[in-house]
Amino acid sequence: MSEARTEPEGATDAAATASLALRGRAIHKSFPGVRALHDVDFDLRAGEVHGLVGENGAGKSTFVKIIMGAHAPDLGVVEAFGHEVRHGDPRARRRAGIAAIYQELTIVPEMSAAANVFLGRPQRRGPFVSRSETRRAFRQLTARLGLAIDPDVRAASLSVAHQQMLEIMRALAADHRILIMDEPTASLGPAERAHLYETIRGLREEGVSTVYVSHQLDEVLALCDRVSVMRDGEIVATEPVERWTKDGLVTAMLGHVLLKPPRQPRTIAEQEVLRVEGLSVPGVLDEISFTLRRGEILGLGGLVGAGRTELLRALAGADAGARGRLFVRGRERPWPRTVRSALALGIALAPEERKSQGLVLSLSAAANVSLTDMRSVASGPVLRGRRRLRRAAEIMRPFAFDARRLREPAGSFSGGNQQKLVVAKWLHRRPDVLLMDEFTRGIDVGAKEEMLALVRRLAAEGMSIIIVSSELEELVECADRVLVLARGRLIGELGHADASVERILRLAFEVEERAENGLAT
Amino acid sequence: MTTSPTAQHVARRLTQNAGRYGAVLLRTYGIVLAFLVLVAVVAASSPEFATRTNIFNLFSQWAPAGIMAVAMTFVILAGGFDLSIASGFSLCAVTAAGVGRTEDPAVAFLAALGVGLAIGLVNGVLVEGARINPFITTVGTGFILNGIALVVTGNIAYVVDDPDFGTVGAGRWHGFPYSGMILIFSLVAGGLVLARTVYGQSIYAVGGNAEASRLSGIRVSTTVGSTYVWSGLSMGVAGIIAASQLNSAQANINPNIVFDVITIVVVGGTSLGGGIGAMWRTAVGLGIIAIISNAFSLANINPYYQDIVKGCIIVGALALDVYARRLAGRARTRPRAAAAPAHPDAPPGGGDRG
Repeated sequence: MSEARTEPEGATDAAATASLALRGRAIHKSFPGVRALHDVDFDLRAGEVHGLVGENGAGKSTFVKIIMGAHAPDLGVVEAFGHEVRHGDPRARRRAGIAAIYQELTIVPEMSAAANVFLGRPQRRGPFVSRSETRRAFRQLTARLGLAIDPDVRAASLSVAHQQMLEIMRALAADHRILIMDEPTASLGPAERAHLYETIRGLREEGVSTVYVSHQLDEVLALCDRVSVMRDGEIVATEPVERWTKDGLVTAMLGHVLLKPPRQPRTIAEQEVLRVEGLSVPGVLDEISFTLRRGEILGLGGLVGAGRTELLRALAGADAGARGRLFVRGRERPWPRTVRSALALGIALAPEERKSQGLVLSLSAAANVSLTDMRSVASGPVLRGRRRLRRAAEIMRPFAFDARRLREPAGSFSGGNQQKLVVAKWLHRRPDVLLMDEFTRGIDVGAKEEMLALVRRLAAEGMSIIIVSSELEELVECADRVLVLARGRLIGELGHADASVERILRLAFEVEERAENGLAT
Repeated sequence: MTTSPTAQHVARRLTQNAGRYGAVLLRTYGIVLAFLVLVAVVAASSPEFATRTNIFNLFSQWAPAGIMAVAMTFVILAGGFDLSIASGFSLCAVTAAGVGRTEDPAVAFLAALGVGLAIGLVNGVLVEGARINPFITTVGTGFILNGIALVVTGNIAYVVDDPDFGTVGAGRWHGFPYSGMILIFSLVAGGLVLARTVYGQSIYAVGGNAEASRLSGIRVSTTVGSTYVWSGLSMGVAGIIAASQLNSAQANINPNIVFDVITIVVVGGTSLGGGIGAMWRTAVGLGIIAIISNAFSLANINPYYQDIVKGCIIVGALALDVYARRLAGRARTRPRAAAAPAHPDAPPGGGDRG
């Protein structure tokens, strides 16, 4: 359809076409009322990393699902190494060696890290599962990825980033030749990301082909050999990475040029809402002190494992092991040991994992929103369904959210909408201090902008907010002040004017290096 | 002759939507349909079934199991399980009869309720306070309660002579048993509490996702623990009714009642995983189980066959439920995309978890 999709490069290119790992021809897919994919041609060369970008709703996930056989195309053919892969034939996919890594994790929490990696294909000795063999193979994989994960640790006790690493290791363990990665770095910190990039590059050398779906354009530009842009269910351009720039990608994704309004400088009241002195959680956080003012947005920067989530959980009373002194509006209070006691002080947590911690998926969206304060939508003990629905609709109005769907179970919504619900729960209760952990994780560009705008609006209305995000750009852009954590200690504070991704990382990495050198000697 | 694409499209939408609503309806109300078919079949094949006496007797006969099923619905919805109800039930019945031999019936009934309350508190504290798995906890307390009942009675039936003692179990108002009224009251009150109150909503929430509920500021332990207290009290009420119906009680009064109760809840369609279900489902489940065993006795079939059929029905009901849920889940994802054109790549089957 567009000339960008044809390959004009002649002889070398013909050779490449002969060794296509994956090919989709004229794929069409419609859902009632929506044209999800229209005449999509896509090819993945053997040993290339092929980026796939586009706004949410552009059709990326539908396309990935068709490749993985979760959906049948209305028209069109998917081929792997020249052989057609039909819908409803998962064995053919396994034979062809196609594996997908989704942003939602598929870890078995109660099993060990190693057992998770070798799920379904245990390392055997005769008829028995060999633990020593499993550990050995696991250590090989961790070495390949440059990770330090104990093979015997329970998967549930690992951080989200490490759990995701397990998924990637699972695909590597199965020796897959085609990897489909759907937002694999959404929950990873810079260090883990770097490891992942190295791994993907290493796999490319080994001849593994990767389709890399991501919202992170910098990452796509740094990592991929070619990049395809999807918009409205079509692939609008496929180009070698050299021909792309970030602006070019954004323009192709949106179909128009995006102008970002410059950030208004904000004045923040002097009134102190929260003062934390000497917060420690044994083995996790060490003597952390800081203050938070009314209407301030405080960012917590650092690498994965620095203790950011733990700090939020300690403040929210979700971690009973926390010690420290807490002053709320200048008055010392006993450190909250339960979520309810933290709430009584006006401190609330919007947690990291929306499915396992944020929402009750079986309850309706409206019920989830009102869960934080059911009294306000009840007369005495009796719940008022209509009042609850009205209240939820009011809260959700500023979001792009279909109010007619408020009665549907929370589990039926997309990631971005679920994230909105997690935050909306606290708009219903209106705490003085809102702690937001990974508040833009796995949501698309548009929803992300809405979320950032919401955070600013809440702060302007006087709410004090602490945000944690692995997207350091967001912290830098959104926060009035950034505290940098490393290895459970507070190692620096940057004002809005001084904060930059680079400075945060430099601070964090210095500590990491020192710690590693310290360990080495 | 070509049909316009719009007409085709509309026709396709309509059939798809019909399929979707069909599946959703089947999933939601399939169990009601099964119940109605069962009633029709049994009524047609057995003239004694649809008589006043028979139906009224069914209420009285199933009151103990039904009342405990109401409480069990609370327990299961909150994500728990109570296997101590058979022993708890007999201990309460024995208490009522034992005290009733010498004391006023009111005192006997209060004593039985007190024992039930104590059982519920112990279960609740063990499960939520000590955080022991509810299966193991309640199997354990079940053994203990059974042992206590046997030791105290020497497995001898306590017989009560006071005619007033039988009023609760055998008394009737215009032919309708008081015990049936207690059953109906429990179902209605339990249903209203679950569906219409803050407390009921908390039960669904903690059963659906305890961690999210805790982080929302819900008292998770208190909520879950309270369901065991209801279960304990229901043992008391059921025990009173059973002892009063027989004017006597023995330690091994009905050890299988625990399976009847769980069957009633599960056949109705309440999920054993917690968070999904409703009291009306328990009412329908009770109706189904009661009518099936009634049909067997009316048709004079060897009661042992009854167990085989009951087992088949449990497995069949669960299979049907899973199948209908899957069907509805699949049908729902497509129109979902239509409702939100901005997100054609929303996760499919997300609603299926619900």
